[in-house]
Amino acid sequence: MTAPTRPRGHASTDDPRVMLDEQIGVFEPIPPYPPRTEREAEFYTLGDGEMFINIGPQHPSTHGVLRIVLKIDGENVVDLDPVLGYLHRGVEKLCENADYHQAICYLDPLEYVSSLFCEWPGVMAFEKLLDVQVPRRAEYIRVLSSELNRVASHALFMGWMALDLGGLTPILWSFIERDEIVEMLASLTGQRMLFNYFRIGGVNGDLNHEFMSRLGDWMSRATSQIESNISLLNENEIFVRRMRGLGTMDTETALRMCMSGPNLRATGVPFDLRRAHPYSVFPELEFDIPTRTEGDCLARYLVRLEEIKQSLRIIDQCLHNMPDGPVMAKLPRLLRPRPGRAYAGIEGPRGQYAAYVVSDGTDQPFRMRIHDPSYLHLQSVGLLMPGHLIADAMAVMASLDPIMGGVDK
Amino acid sequence: MDPALRRRFERRFGERLTGPVRQRHDETELRIGAGDASEVIRALHDEPEFGFTFLADLAGVDTGTTMQVVYHFWGASTPDWLRLIVDGLPRDDPRVPSVTALWKGAEWMEREAYDMFGITFEGNRDLRRIYMPPDYQSFPLRKDFFLADDAARSPGAGVRHMEQTHAPRNATPAATIRRTKA
Repeated sequence: MTAPTRPRGHASTDDPRVMLDEQIGVFEPIPPYPPRTEREAEFYTLGDGEMFINIGPQHPSTHGVLRIVLKIDGENVVDLDPVLGYLHRGVEKLCENADYHQAICYLDPLEYVSSLFCEWPGVMAFEKLLDVQVPRRAEYIRVLSSELNRVASHALFMGWMALDLGGLTPILWSFIERDEIVEMLASLTGQRMLFNYFRIGGVNGDLNHEFMSRLGDWMSRATSQIESNISLLNENEIFVRRMRGLGTMDTETALRMCMSGPNLRATGVPFDLRRAHPYSVFPELEFDIPTRTEGDCLARYLVRLEEIKQSLRIIDQCLHNMPDGPVMAKLPRLLRPRPGRAYAGIEGPRGQYAAYVVSDGTDQPFRMRIHDPSYLHLQSVGLLMPGHLIADAMAVMASLDPIMGGVDK
Repeated sequence: MDPALRRRFERRFGERLTGPVRQRHDETELRIGAGDASEVIRALHDEPEFGFTFLADLAGVDTGTTMQVVYHFWGASTPDWLRLIVDGLPRDDPRVPSVTALWKGAEWMEREAYDMFGITFEGNRDLRRIYMPPDYQSFPLRKDFFLADDAARSPGAGVRHMEQTHAPRNATPAATIRRTKA
């Protein structure tokens, strides 16, 4: 038997055979190749008294598999270089090799904390290509289920935020909330996390008895339960003092950094696609767009808390105005939209989720572009972290709430 | 749909547009060449008549014959999404001016388009691969990059090296590359 040989020609780090004999696994901060850009050369040159510290790729505070190379001077962060790609699955390419129905289930794991918001823009773009009219009941069910998902996502954010500041209790509390919602959605969709619930032209199933009874049960005590969770943190002086004035961003910069969602609203812009570019049945629903003007970590946190309350309002209205009728439009099984292009954007718990689809007349999308806000928010970490202590830098990152599944597509 | 917006675009950019202004659902679509890109985008961003201050998306597209860079904008002056297609970039060396001077946040989106399509954004100070490893050579979202058809292989056989592009054997490129008039 011959020993395994290295592949001829170009060797890549994604080849398992290379990993075996070269002992990759120790992450040296300074890359073993010459700098590719001006910025890389500038970053990997140490100034007086500076040093590199490598965080990740497996580190609890990075919310996924992210590696950050920090350049520090004592305890202060001078600069940083996020290294992505550890979760990159090539979802866009996979979607281009699947048919329109199959593509939907690739969208779920992008944002595993709030999956429905990833399905929605994809489905909406497909519907635009096909000129499908979605039944009103289906639209209401979509709004209802996605707002529940938004509450679950924001509830988890509260816990994470505190966890990254060193408090363990809130995440245990927020998981109670999240678990109830997730179980509720599981009885509606059949899945706990990756729901795969939205379909082109409607939703997979109508509201059922178990979901409605769970929802009614939860709604009756949701407000007081969330209030008590909130009081755990909002009245904690250590928490509030640490968050205030940390990672401040002004409106101008936030727009230049292409930020959206609560992170943009925390700088004082009432930009919410549910109002700015209305879709689905949101024009019929009453809710406010909470904003803050400080633009710091505390503002980002408080905006999300307010959004939970607004989501509860929307859920309440959905339940009262839920129309009767079908939950799916009549569509052929094999979809071949006419050649064309469609873009759909929605407001998710982290910002603008969007999909751009090009059709070439076959049953597979020709190009599927997925836009995720976490990607852009993680980028702005590079702007917010420098000047802070290492411990605070993690809090800044947690307050932006990036999800690595969405960042790495 | 916002017909007034179309007329404004035709009046303002008339001869620069390389195709008709198309409108469908809530989208308005402009098409320009790479030479006019930075001027047109600056006008869309700066001029109060348009005021497209929110860059919603930046995507590369490989149509099989040419490359495109597709921008989506949101502006308060119209209820439509604005789609700007920078069209007709050559596949062997696609180049467009960077928009990082207007939106610094476009830096990573441009890096992604570079990583996936090999589109060079002139003026981006940090144009390096972002998802794929630094020594990677191919551009995975191009239409001449084929997925390895190894879903049915046994796990013990290992993962096939994904760097090469796998066109079906004995097939001419014209038959295998998916093309569309996007």
